[in-house]
Amino acid sequence: MVIEQDKMRSLADTMAQAEVKGRSPWADARKRFVRNKAAMAGLVILVLVTLFAAFGDYAAAWSNEELDYNVMGQVRELGAPSIATGHYFGTDDLGRDLYARTVQGTRISLMVGIVGAAIAVIVGTLYGATAGYVGGRTDQIMMRLVDILMSIPYMFVLILLLVVFGRSIGMLFLGIGLISWLDMSRIVRGQTLTLKNREFIEAAQATGVSSWRIIMRHIVPNLLGVVAVYATLLVPLMILTESFISFLGLGVQEPLTSWGALISEGAATMNYGTLWQLAFPLFFFCITLFGFFFVGDGLRDALDPKDR
Amino acid sequence: MFGYILRRLAVAVPTLLLLIVFSFLLMHAAPGGPFTGERSLPPQVLANLEAKYGLDQPLIVQLWNYLKGVVLQFDFGPSFVYPDRTVNGLIADGFPVTLTYGLLSFVLAALVGITLGVAAAIRHNSWLDYLAVGTSIGAQVLPNFVMAPILVLVLTLWLGWLPGGGWSFNDPSYWIMPVIALGTSYMASIARITRSSMLEVLGSNHIRTARAKGMPERRVILRHALKPALLPVISYLGPVFVSMITGSVVIDIYFSTGGIGRSFVDSALNRDYAVMMGITILVGALTVLFNLIVDILYAWIDPKIRY
Amino acid sequence: MVLLNINDLHVRFDTNDGVVHAVNGVDLTLEPGETLGIVGESGSGKSQLAFAVMGLLAANGRAEGSARFDGTEILNAKPRVLNKVRAEKIAMVFQDPMTSLNPYMRVADQMAEVLVLHKGMSKRDAVTESVRMLDAVKIPDAKGRVRLYPHEFSGGMRQRVMIAMALLCRPQLLIADEPTTALDVTVQAQIMQLLADLQTEFGMAMILITHDLGVVAGSCERVAVMYGGRIREQAPVAPLFADPAHPYTQGLLAAIPRIDETEAELRAIPGAPPNMTHPPASCAYAPRCPYRLAECETERPPLEGFAPDRKRACFAALDDIRAHRHRVSITADEAATAGPLEDEPDDALPDAAVAGVGAAAATHEVKQ
Repeated sequence: MVIEQDKMRSLADTMAQAEVKGRSPWADARKRFVRNKAAMAGLVILVLVTLFAAFGDYAAAWSNEELDYNVMGQVRELGAPSIATGHYFGTDDLGRDLYARTVQGTRISLMVGIVGAAIAVIVGTLYGATAGYVGGRTDQIMMRLVDILMSIPYMFVLILLLVVFGRSIGMLFLGIGLISWLDMSRIVRGQTLTLKNREFIEAAQATGVSSWRIIMRHIVPNLLGVVAVYATLLVPLMILTESFISFLGLGVQEPLTSWGALISEGAATMNYGTLWQLAFPLFFFCITLFGFFFVGDGLRDALDPKDR
Repeated sequence: MFGYILRRLAVAVPTLLLLIVFSFLLMHAAPGGPFTGERSLPPQVLANLEAKYGLDQPLIVQLWNYLKGVVLQFDFGPSFVYPDRTVNGLIADGFPVTLTYGLLSFVLAALVGITLGVAAAIRHNSWLDYLAVGTSIGAQVLPNFVMAPILVLVLTLWLGWLPGGGWSFNDPSYWIMPVIALGTSYMASIARITRSSMLEVLGSNHIRTARAKGMPERRVILRHALKPALLPVISYLGPVFVSMITGSVVIDIYFSTGGIGRSFVDSALNRDYAVMMGITILVGALTVLFNLIVDILYAWIDPKIRY
Repeated sequence: MVLLNINDLHVRFDTNDGVVHAVNGVDLTLEPGETLGIVGESGSGKSQLAFAVMGLLAANGRAEGSARFDGTEILNAKPRVLNKVRAEKIAMVFQDPMTSLNPYMRVADQMAEVLVLHKGMSKRDAVTESVRMLDAVKIPDAKGRVRLYPHEFSGGMRQRVMIAMALLCRPQLLIADEPTTALDVTVQAQIMQLLADLQTEFGMAMILITHDLGVVAGSCERVAVMYGGRIREQAPVAPLFADPAHPYTQGLLAAIPRIDETEAELRAIPGAPPNMTHPPASCAYAPRCPYRLAECETERPPLEGFAPDRKRACFAALDDIRAHRHRVSITADEAATAGPLEDEPDDALPDAAVAGVGAAAATHEVKQ
């Protein structure tokens, strides 16, 4: 999984062009987006998954912490998914209701993904816009720092941080958010630079419009497209990162859970014949990633239509 | 070209030093580490540490000792947990395994991905294109930690074709699943990037010129389109390499291959900071080295980059 | 003997926004050694016409009809046939010399490969011959510069390289697609002069595609004016300028700034070119035409001869046009709303249509 930087740059260029021509790219984009079947399907999936995370609890017959003593020790025979027992998705190895746990895991994974992406986007945008708008030496130093940070093996450092400072979920949010802002800052900087040197900005400066107004009126609306697409595509990346760490047992800790942790548990027990423990979390994990990819790609293609 | 490499090195070396210093300070500040005295370590370990760092010396001296060891002798010091083991020993045990399946997986992912991407772009909107696009979209949601259980489920539990874990340098049947599990999603990404970049290049003006010159399609693609189309792929190979090293942790855990990933996670769970740091720095060095290779490759292809 | 015979040529592009009809039934002939100018604003289909003949349409483009070169059908011909014709018989020079040369290859390699492929020369001989050709297009120190990459040349020099590369096999026909549009004005004149000199020297025919009537006046014998993918008027160059027989030609001529006129304002053609996704069944120029009649809005005028060597496609009486007797007065607003425009008012061809091999640089050459 990857965010294609070339396409993001192309999108940034297109948005800058639109600003110059004084045409809003959003009006046409909405039409194109609605026409894009994959993107609409992705949107529907995301809405459904979000509803599942928000209201799934109300349909649960068991809480996520309760142990079903009838099932314990005989999970393979009695813990299978069934409407009769109230375990719609079966139970996990300890006899906990997998449906309730999947709801909980979905909540946490989505939250980590969205908060992580938000942190990455905010930091990246501020950093990149500052470097681009201030320019000169500051810009050079800031970007050289990005170069240096680029070649740090993040996952290892993140795990190191998690171990040193304790595996709190807050640390996880922050750590995951802070690993992905570098590319974002580069693109935002590039776009800011392009815009800054455009005649209409210079004209605005010459007529005494304040920097603040210029940034709010011309730079920020322009960055919005890139930021929106980037954020949408970052969420699944963040979810992947969190799942990766949780799969290793270094992320979210019991009694909390996440998709990665659930997949890890399911994968550990699948040779006992309890495949549902892998299948349900994996299903939600996969469709959600698909959903975000399709919406993100669709959004980008809508804003930057090219015959690809 | 030489000057260009030197300039890239001028960025690479401080990066590594920064990583080492940062890790060392982190280790020093870590609660439960040997330096804080919160945790009682086995006497043998303490003796090892004393010999290595001089625990009563000021922080800066300890850092200097560590840096000297790492830079001059590639010596990461003793383990914090096992009295009779050094970090170097653990790395020497695990690294060859990781390197073997990691490199194999990397090369295969790059070759298959690029071939698939180029083929899909040439046969744009054909069944081959749809297949490639479908595969690469599907494989995006199959990261290593998803691929690994699925492979074991199918190839070991259902079909019984391959051993479900373990490692042997002599028996390639142990290599297959780690290589596939690690490489699939990157192969897909590489294919996707190659395809869209190739499509873009094939639509560019200079390709039209090449066609107008009466070049056969094969020559247009191999001689004129491939080089520029590979540029974005090459710059993506750097991050792929890093992600694959990271992914090897999952492979080592899930397939019990005995690579450095296992040591890393064990040390994370045991708070064996010395091992964690050693591996992190090693991986950092590999990353820096690989990015350097990528930069050189890029400059070699693109004449517009000034050396 | 006819060198190139284009018959009922159509070009269409499948895009996300529908089918774009870029060229709609064009007939053209060209004699050996003749110079034909094709004039029209951007989106009139003039470049796509040339790309179709050369088999260089973007992947989403289709050509129909016939184009015979020296009696051989080359439209939609097999690659083997086409690759024999390209560069060897018909060569092409493109609009944007910045991007039309391969930025990743040395000029020597790009030029030599043509001769190696078509003439079976050795690499060494091919480079020698390339240097000779670079000398012929007046590139100073050609021998030293042949080892450079394109980005090490200036724009004008790059176009000279382009021309030299096109002439390597001494083609019978050179198609120059806006060869000077991307260049500075002073360089434009030099390049046009060079093309004219080389044409006499090599005795080849030339099709000059341009939006600039001024360029045509200086270098062409015959002119075809295109609008909305069709030829509107075709005539030898002198009568076309002296006595335009189509309202559009007249509009184009009026839009050329002239030093001997005292009028302060240029007379732009009001309105925008037609949307080629939904080409009107009537005359595509009608919404912008001051001479339009009732039938112009319902029927399409055919291209008909009205004098020796002269053809036009218009219902309006020739005398009215000659006497500038406007029937309606057109304002920019009216013309803009009268056109069947949908969501892309600026672009006659949606961007997607020209993304691909046929892509032209997005210069705004519409004279409005």
